Amino acid sequence: MSEIFSDLSFAVFWYAVPIMIVLLLVSLGGLMSERSGVVNIALEGIMVMGAFTAATVIYFLRQADDPMGRQWMVLIGLSVGAISGFLFSFFHAFAAVRMQSNQIISATALNMFAPALHVFMARTYIRGTDSINIRTTYRITVPILSDLPVVGPLFSNAFLSTYIGIAILIALTIMFYKTRLGLRLRSCGENPHAADSLGIDVGKIRYIGVMMSGLLAGLGGAAYMIAFDNDFDGHVLGLGFLALALLISGQWKPLRILVFAMVFSLFYVVSSQHGSIGFLSSVNLPSEVYRSMPFIITLVVLAFFSKATQAPKALGEPYDVGKR
Amino acid sequence: MKRILLVFALFLFGASLAACGGVDDVEIALITDYGDIDDESFNQGTWEGIVEYAEEHDIAYAYYRPSEVSDDAYIEEIDRAVRDGAKIIVTPGFLFSQAVYTSQLRHPHVTFILLDAVPEDEDEGVFVAHNTVSIFYDEHESGFLAGYAAVYDEFTELGYMGGIAVPAVVRFGIGFIAGAYYAADELGVTIEFPDNRYTYLGTFNAGADVESEAAGWFNAGTEIIFAAAGGAGGSVMSAAEDISAWMIGVDVDQSANSDRVLTSAMKALATSVQLVLDDYYSGKFPSGQTLYLSATEDGVGLPLENSRFRNQATVEAAYNAIFDKIADGDLIVPSNYDELLDFFTDWELGNLPITRETVGG
Repeated sequence: MSEIFSDLSFAVFWYAVPIMIVLLLVSLGGLMSERSGVVNIALEGIMVMGAFTAATVIYFLRQADDPMGRQWMVLIGLSVGAISGFLFSFFHAFAAVRMQSNQIISATALNMFAPALHVFMARTYIRGTDSINIRTTYRITVPILSDLPVVGPLFSNAFLSTYIGIAILIALTIMFYKTRLGLRLRSCGENPHAADSLGIDVGKIRYIGVMMSGLLAGLGGAAYMIAFDNDFDGHVLGLGFLALALLISGQWKPLRILVFAMVFSLFYVVSSQHGSIGFLSSVNLPSEVYRSMPFIITLVVLAFFSKATQAPKALGEPYDVGKR
Repeated sequence: MKRILLVFALFLFGASLAACGGVDDVEIALITDYGDIDDESFNQGTWEGIVEYAEEHDIAYAYYRPSEVSDDAYIEEIDRAVRDGAKIIVTPGFLFSQAVYTSQLRHPHVTFILLDAVPEDEDEGVFVAHNTVSIFYDEHESGFLAGYAAVYDEFTELGYMGGIAVPAVVRFGIGFIAGAYYAADELGVTIEFPDNRYTYLGTFNAGADVESEAAGWFNAGTEIIFAAAGGAGGSVMSAAEDISAWMIGVDVDQSANSDRVLTSAMKALATSVQLVLDDYYSGKFPSGQTLYLSATEDGVGLPLENSRFRNQATVEAAYNAIFDKIADGDLIVPSNYDELLDFFTDWELGNLPITRETVGG
């Protein structure tokens, strides 16, 4: 029994938690945008952009004569990823809010552009190859805290992004439900005309929503690259779309998203480690079954929950003052 | 805003022109398979061979990247290379068999070098035309050497992760099993290489799932994983770094990619392409032939000088001895599951713990 527990706790704390944080960050990003009324399927592309800029910065920082501490590089990488995501999402915000264009189209453009830019820049200016290699271990063990019972594992061999992610979850939830900005964001997604009539600048709020979403998705992309894709080649393997699915399963509510991110990442990791988790390795299912399990579960949950969807009512509609 | 976009578009357009510069006068062309010329693996090995040869002999060369992995896209790129004047087209990879079958007939005056496959049509079957040469590598020998060296380096818990179960990947795995158990028998040690430590990932891409799976194995005691999985091998490297375990690279010498690469099960892609190019230019092109490059032709092997064996001298001596044995034909390495079973019986290696369903082939 104790061995099973150590297998499981390894799977959970080394892998499920960091994956959950990535999905959570990106999903919360989607939440910011969609609750303000703008569909954001560009999460995938923004993640790639965040990961690409973070990889580039860390790549050059590592080449310095006197390289700084690894966690400082991580911190700078995450910040740069977040900022680039913030700026990159401006294009989507501009098209969706100012130009009132189709939000799917402009987001798709971002999704197509980001990997292409990565390959072009990596090839031409950075390493001369498709991928940017910053391979080393970026895990961190916090002294003292890692010796605590129960929460100890959360502080050993973890990633800096885990703590940032948790802090952001708390801050965002409070912002969302307890502050004026949160209320305005939500009102713009539900009934922009009513919001407008009360003197709220719908365009501005939506800009904030989309670009905050870019910030979080960029941060999530950087966190993913640092944790799991140190030889970054311009792909995040659909995690951005997955985060979108979690957003919908979580009914556009931060804490529900957290629950779904936990459940999904747990299944994701358990399915990939089925061969080494004691009680699972004795069950002889084909590995394809395990590998598809988390996705099948997401699909089922999506199908189940989409019946009683609580999507923001004005989601996807450009705000038109004259329309009633 | 529009102006900014326009400038940006012009910039990209200019950059793309620059990237295509000089393509209209090509003699040797590479069509890339799944991945790119800098995949640190199969395409790159082939490409480096071409570049080196062409630079040395002052021949124009270029590569073409198909828009997707499909016969039509491959054929389209081959046509494009031919239009650009290519006389020799190198196609690395199993997935090219149909495309080369079609193209060798369509362009009889162009020479094709097909690696890892024979030209094959769904209806007409296999046909290597006069303007084509097929090159196979004995990956099972390469895998055998990797497994053998790992066990001689005192690794006792082994694992294998293949990308997708294409023939070359399966042969690497079968050879690896045989090499590991053969060495264990010679040394009289017991090794752990059970059925659930042999898998095909279903992808050649790096990702959290691959890293998590590899880390799970390492955490449960596996000491070394042989990853014949293209880019996904990078995820195995990351896991090995996190947990201070080891991995074995594939196709080309991957020692520079990570400190945790013990050695690499190489195929002499660059050398073999250069040899055939040399034959072509000296008028001795092996027209219509299928070549099998094994240890005998130095077509497979480990990069000893860049390996990180803990017992370098011991492993090197053992490696050289077994390599000669294989090269001289004194030891036949199994290349499919039936031969693997026979190999276990012939050498009295005990029960083969890995099942046919797991290995395939």
